Amino acid sequence: MLLEINNLHASVNDVEIIKGLNLTIAPGEVHAIMGPNGSGKSTLAQALAGREDYLVTDGSVSYKGRDLLDMEPDARARAGVFLGFQYPVEIPGVSNVYLLKAALNARRKEKGEPEIDAIEFMRFIKDKAKLMELDEKFLSRGVNEGFSGGEKKRNEIFQMAVLEPDLAILDETDSGLDIDALKVVANGVNKQRDGQRSFLLITHYQRLLDYIEPDHVHVLANGRIIQSGSKELALELEEHGYDKILAAAS
Amino acid sequence: MNTATPDPATIEVMRKTWQERPPADNLRLHDRRTRALESFAQNGFPTTHQENWKYTDVRKLAASYPECLRTVPDGTATPDLVPLIDKDALRITFIDGIYRPDLSTVGDLPPGVFAGSVSELLTAVPGFEAHFGALAHDSDSAFVALNTAFAGDALAIVLPDNMELGQPVYVRFHASTPQLGTQPRVMAKLGANSRATLIEHYTSSHQAIVNSVTEVSCETGAALNYYKVQEEHREAWHTAVQYIDLARDARLVSMHLDTGAGLARNELQVRLTGKGAAADCKGLFMGSNNQHVECRINVEHAAADTQSRERFRGILADKACGVFNGRIYVEPEAQKTAAELTNRNLLLSKGAEINTKPELEIYADDVKCVHGSTTGQLDEQSLFYLMSRGIDHDEARNMLVEAFAGELLAGTGIEAIKQKAQQALRALRTAGQ
Ligand SMILES: Nc1ncnc2c1ncn2[C@@H]1O[C@H](COP(=O)(O)OP(=O)(O)OP(=O)(O)O)[C@@H](O)[C@H]1O
Ligand SMILES: [Mg+2]
Repeated sequence: MLLEINNLHASVNDVEIIKGLNLTIAPGEVHAIMGPNGSGKSTLAQALAGREDYLVTDGSVSYKGRDLLDMEPDARARAGVFLGFQYPVEIPGVSNVYLLKAALNARRKEKGEPEIDAIEFMRFIKDKAKLMELDEKFLSRGVNEGFSGGEKKRNEIFQMAVLEPDLAILDETDSGLDIDALKVVANGVNKQRDGQRSFLLITHYQRLLDYIEPDHVHVLANGRIIQSGSKELALELEEHGYDKILAAAS
Repeated sequence: MNTATPDPATIEVMRKTWQERPPADNLRLHDRRTRALESFAQNGFPTTHQENWKYTDVRKLAASYPECLRTVPDGTATPDLVPLIDKDALRITFIDGIYRPDLSTVGDLPPGVFAGSVSELLTAVPGFEAHFGALAHDSDSAFVALNTAFAGDALAIVLPDNMELGQPVYVRFHASTPQLGTQPRVMAKLGANSRATLIEHYTSSHQAIVNSVTEVSCETGAALNYYKVQEEHREAWHTAVQYIDLARDARLVSMHLDTGAGLARNELQVRLTGKGAAADCKGLFMGSNNQHVECRINVEHAAADTQSRERFRGILADKACGVFNGRIYVEPEAQKTAAELTNRNLLLSKGAEINTKPELEIYADDVKCVHGSTTGQLDEQSLFYLMSRGIDHDEARNMLVEAFAGELLAGTGIEAIKQKAQQALRALRTAGQ
């Protein structure tokens, strides 16, 4: 297994948000998590990425056989975990290229590889930018600085494409994207699917799943996964909403 | 001890030291220097009861006088100095307050640039005594008065009208003798439509007492690029004031970088005296351990259609203490003034502290003036974002600190100063662990 979450409990500001969550992801699988606003989807994503103020109070998470919760956020990333933020932060003064170079070299160092050659690096990221249909001028701008909502999301996927993670957790990357951008983003994800890399897609819309076909769909409500199924579950949710499932679960 | 006035014995020693100065100098500047000394004798060192010195306690520094005023026995120390700028510049070096032709590119000095003793300067440039201490008033502070009374060697730049000094003038003031007090003095007069770049660089290898005064007057349409880099020894005491007057349409672009000294206090006094004059002043100050750094700027708009922009940033780690005081003063006749003063500070630890006070004092009614200040810590969300990309905590922190400083450093014409700042930021981070 790539990721095994067992009975995870997590709190924010002393309020328990994740209340005994179980989830297992095998290499190469795409899982989608849907669920009402405030159900804890982003909390789960942030806790997996290692955000300090999302305190894990119980349970375990094993990633590639290692105790993920015992690792610092940067160590998790270097081990191949990537979080596409629901709300990417703007960091003026740190350019996209600078961030990517530091990030890429950190991963390479971890694998015992030498730092990437400057020319090779530029060629590499320009290729990826083209793939994401991201204008090259974005590369030298500050991280997300003054980006539109959609540009920020596209930039997250661009970063993912550069870093080539083993587990990408994409928190509502589809929200705020126009139809064309959605296709570009989906294409970026699909290009990375190689039977080994896994994805955890958090979304509110079935539409994304038309482009990225999930192996499993889960419903997260009130800090727990209350139902899991195949991609048809997403269609069902789209049609009937959460009411029926929520009622059945309580 | 709250009394400012030094005891009579101290004053006596100072008078004696003063009287032993070269007679030629004393003859020409006798009155001016006497006034300065008497002003000091009367007012003494400032105390924290005075508004302008509220946050900077100079008692220890004051106690090093008059002993620190002794002259160095030979003045031939030749430390191995790495220049900030090693090519395409006129290099002038002062060691322990003494001008060193052997360490300067004096042979290349174009007409109008002079380095040497104040008395020689007066011989070389007739009538210059009127400018010595014309902008720097004795009553401004004990330190200004002491410098006027005791400055021995000085750098002077006197550019005729329309002359453009192609190379920057890079002056290095290095203190190599422990516990020695030096009084660096720089004077410049830029004729109409002339242009010059001046870089003052202060270093010391030991605990030293450095008290500098710079006076620059820019005539109609003159343009000055001024840089000051202070990176003295961690136990040094550094006090400095720059007076820069701008006549009609004159331009000032300045950058201050303060990274060193245990106690540093810099004051920039800009006066826009002619219509259309403009100043763009930037400064970056940083401190770690127990450093105390005070950064002051006072810009007086005394004529119509003048513009100024002041942007200062401070970065403080450990238990360092920073003080920022910025003031824009607009006189009644300075209509259509546009001025903008900002101070942003970054505190890297809980023990670090900043006192900031940006002020506007406006006596004209048709002006556009803004000011503001912010102080904060590193943004946790940004830190997490960078770490979530695999960058370790220290490196992420470093990137954010550099970004904070980088916004200010962008556009700084002299690459070496940018690099110096970045180097200091890295050291700050290591020290701040
Ligand atoms: N820093 C915080 N402080 C206080 N409460 C928080 C914090 N972060 C999250 N919460 C609360 O935790 C709950 C779950 O939030 P979370 O962001 O995980 O929801 P979500 O499922 O991602 O919702 P959405 O679909 O709107 O993105 C919400 O009630 C939210 O208000
Ligand atoms: Mg969310």
